[in-house]
Amino acid sequence: MPAAIAWLDAIDPQRAIRACGAKMGRLAELPPVGVRVPQGFAVTADAYRRHCAKTDLDEVIDAALIGLGSDAEAAGIETAAQAVQAELTSREMGADLAGLITGAYEELSSRCLGINFPVAVRSSAIGEDSPTASFAGIFDTYLGVCGGDQVLEAVRRCWASLFSARAVAYRLRAGLHHRDMPMAVGVLELINAQASGVAFSASPVTGKTDRVVIETNWGWGEAVVAGRVTPDHVEVGKADGRILRYQVAAKKVISAFDYAAGRVVESDMPAQLADRRVLDDEQIAAVVDAVLAIERYYGYPVDVEWVLDKYRRAGEPACIVQARPVTLTNAGTNPMPTTWDPAAIATKYAFKR
Amino acid sequence: MATVIPVDQFISDEWYPGFKPGYGHAPWYVDPVRTFCKEDQKAFWFLDFHWQRGLTPMGLIFMEDGYNWSTQLAAEQMPLPPGRGLTCRLGGTHPYGSAIPVDDPREISQRARRLEHTLPGLLRDFEPIWGRMREEIKQGWDYFCDVDLSALSLAELRGNLIQARRYHKRAWEIHFQVMYPLLANYTGFYGVCTELGLHPAQIGRFLQGYDTKIMETDRELWRLAAAARAAGLEPVFAGHEADGIRAALAARGGPAGAWLTRLDDFLQVYGWRTEGPADIALPSWIEDPTPVLGMIKTFLEKDTDHDFEAARAAAVEERETAVDAARSVLTLEEQRLFDGGLASCRAANFPWWQDDHNFYIDLRVILPMRWACHAIADRIGAGRQDDTLYLFWEEIMDLSSGRRRYDAGLRGLVEQRKQYFDYWLQQRPSLPKVVGTIPESVNDPILIEIFGLNSHFLQAVAAAGSGSQAKVLTGVPASKGVGRGIARVLHDPGGLHRLSPGEVLVCESTSPNWTPAFAKIAACVCDGGGTLSHAAIVGREYRVPTVTGVGLATTLISDGDEVEVDGTSGQVTVLRPAAARPGGVPPAPAGQEGG
Repeated sequence: MPAAIAWLDAIDPQRAIRACGAKMGRLAELPPVGVRVPQGFAVTADAYRRHCAKTDLDEVIDAALIGLGSDAEAAGIETAAQAVQAELTSREMGADLAGLITGAYEELSSRCLGINFPVAVRSSAIGEDSPTASFAGIFDTYLGVCGGDQVLEAVRRCWASLFSARAVAYRLRAGLHHRDMPMAVGVLELINAQASGVAFSASPVTGKTDRVVIETNWGWGEAVVAGRVTPDHVEVGKADGRILRYQVAAKKVISAFDYAAGRVVESDMPAQLADRRVLDDEQIAAVVDAVLAIERYYGYPVDVEWVLDKYRRAGEPACIVQARPVTLTNAGTNPMPTTWDPAAIATKYAFKR
Repeated sequence: MATVIPVDQFISDEWYPGFKPGYGHAPWYVDPVRTFCKEDQKAFWFLDFHWQRGLTPMGLIFMEDGYNWSTQLAAEQMPLPPGRGLTCRLGGTHPYGSAIPVDDPREISQRARRLEHTLPGLLRDFEPIWGRMREEIKQGWDYFCDVDLSALSLAELRGNLIQARRYHKRAWEIHFQVMYPLLANYTGFYGVCTELGLHPAQIGRFLQGYDTKIMETDRELWRLAAAARAAGLEPVFAGHEADGIRAALAARGGPAGAWLTRLDDFLQVYGWRTEGPADIALPSWIEDPTPVLGMIKTFLEKDTDHDFEAARAAAVEERETAVDAARSVLTLEEQRLFDGGLASCRAANFPWWQDDHNFYIDLRVILPMRWACHAIADRIGAGRQDDTLYLFWEEIMDLSSGRRRYDAGLRGLVEQRKQYFDYWLQQRPSLPKVVGTIPESVNDPILIEIFGLNSHFLQAVAAAGSGSQAKVLTGVPASKGVGRGIARVLHDPGGLHRLSPGEVLVCESTSPNWTPAFAKIAACVCDGGGTLSHAAIVGREYRVPTVTGVGLATTLISDGDEVEVDGTSGQVTVLRPAAARPGGVPPAPAGQEGG
């Protein structure tokens, strides 16, 4: 029987994506190429499948979703999604699986030299991040979850996020079936973030592959990923590592750890930090190094989420919490010329019709 | 739906008295110069800002030989992939221009392939090529300067006029053979820079700060002004109108006489130019130095001399800073492309040429024709030299060959034509800026960069029918900085001497003869023009905030309005209308307000 728990540092990278979903699987691939990732484990897709089978969820889900076609109305989808989610969250997890997860969590805490160590619980569905359907931002992530019971609850919510109305609608539109994308869930050491963000090894706007583009904010990266803050914007030339642009944004929101609530929440940015430049040159270089290592490994442009630990020292690597290939919608359609060819350039720019 | 402005007001059976419309009497390459017909309404015509007074019959030879023939020849030979050059229709005495498109996509790509073979070499070898062309023009010029017209018979004068016309035509062929490739290359560079994320206001600076023949003239003008100041002649200039200054100085003698000698030396070098481009009706400075004296008069109204060396050093430094700043935000790959384009555009520098060539072509190649016409007028006993400028080519050919006499009939006709010219001169401020079918956008680089027919302009002229009076006008940010002052709306360079230091020049567009005014104005606003039009280039050299391509500035801004010109953002704001200011509208204020 395939394992319900897979440690990222123990699983065979070749099997990681099939067992742990794309998000967690890729994190297992990266340490061998010198990229730092958080410690942690995945509750595998098999664990989710077995849970559904054991608790009759498969039939319940099929019954609720039957009749929803690609032209389904929003209201119909909403009703069906709520019904499935209610069933999913009301079914107790089997004691054996719950024990395995809490046991792994305790192991992770002790590896991090803590008790009830805060973790990030991240959805990682099989087939998510495919070139044709990214499911970007559709599934749940919980940051700063502390304690075994809270971890179990977060795992069940991640499972349930497979049936949020927007996830159901997205699958209907993409013509995918939920059985083909069982939900693995990652449980990762929460990096104590001084600054985080996203980075692209190409310009997401122009498709130019000659640069790394970084967007960053103080604290954790969720506000950046969700687009709820205007982040600092940095562009770095790949060929020489020169910083081309650093635009300091007025950052109004921060994702910060709330010790009372025991998780990462969004709050107003303290005035002293709002207009302050987030990254220094050395930190930018660390992020760029990691992004380029990942791009070299995959052989195509990538989009990563990264975190800089509060206790990171200069020269230490940035921590990568997510990496995926990006589809460059603008690449190749109307590329910039590479050398000065006056006739071609005049035809392109002066005589455009 | 496209906005259509009817051409009906220009369709008339009568044109210049004694001449029937229809035209086509001069050879043409693609499309002839004509008066308007109903069919023309399908095309898009813009009022050409170069001839704000209108053109006399002899002046229209420029439209045939320079405008239509030479642009069409150059566009077909280069070739220009999407266009066959410019053509012109006449609204009374005023030329409206239009670009002739190539419609067949197959032909356009064929022409683009031909361009691949013609353009690179021309740009690479621009310096020797332009050097040879300039030499050819200068040799022709020297030839005509050496002819003693008074020693020629009428028949020989006729031959001289024919030669002068050929010389003029050839010079304009050269003009557009150079202009199209340079402009295409510059526009390509501009497009690349824009796509590289560089700010449009920055791009114009990359090629500035190179001395031109026109700037050399301006520098000498200021030296003359400084010499007048040093000789204590300021009261003479202040006490007389421009056309009375020469006589007043001559009467005074002493240092004033010495200064006049210096003026004549200046004129011998720099005075062989007309007050406006390509207009046979305009005298050269040698013939009539009033514009020079008027300019010096206003220079003397300023407390300090214009520091050319400082302005030029600043322009050079700004150029180098702009290039460094631009390169710093580019990746190595982008820098290779940028550096290639910059080197190409410096070797064949369009903004520089756009100013420099005026000295050799626009402002003087018409003069030999003018001299011959005047000499013929003298010889046939016309009494007034300008009479022959109101004749058509066939008429002056007949007169100078003796086939026809300058009789009462022809004299009467010339009189009527002068009245006709004056009538249309009065109409100029109220003429529509564009007629025909206004497109959403135009693609011809000459129309965009030289005539300023960008989307702002087109929107402004299309919206003008709605009658909404804009308080804030938008145009092309052509020269950075903010300037504020009283607007002086000029429809004609003849009014240049009305400008007082610190005022804001508002006009259809400027030409090289307007240049010296930039040393004293607070800002400049033009209906037409882009980043490469004359006002834009000179505005940057003189560091005068300038906005071009505003569309209807001369209509929406009134003489005497207090305006603010933001050359960085391209916005022009009417702060206080003339009517609301104490003192109302001073036609030619002695003192300044605001500023």
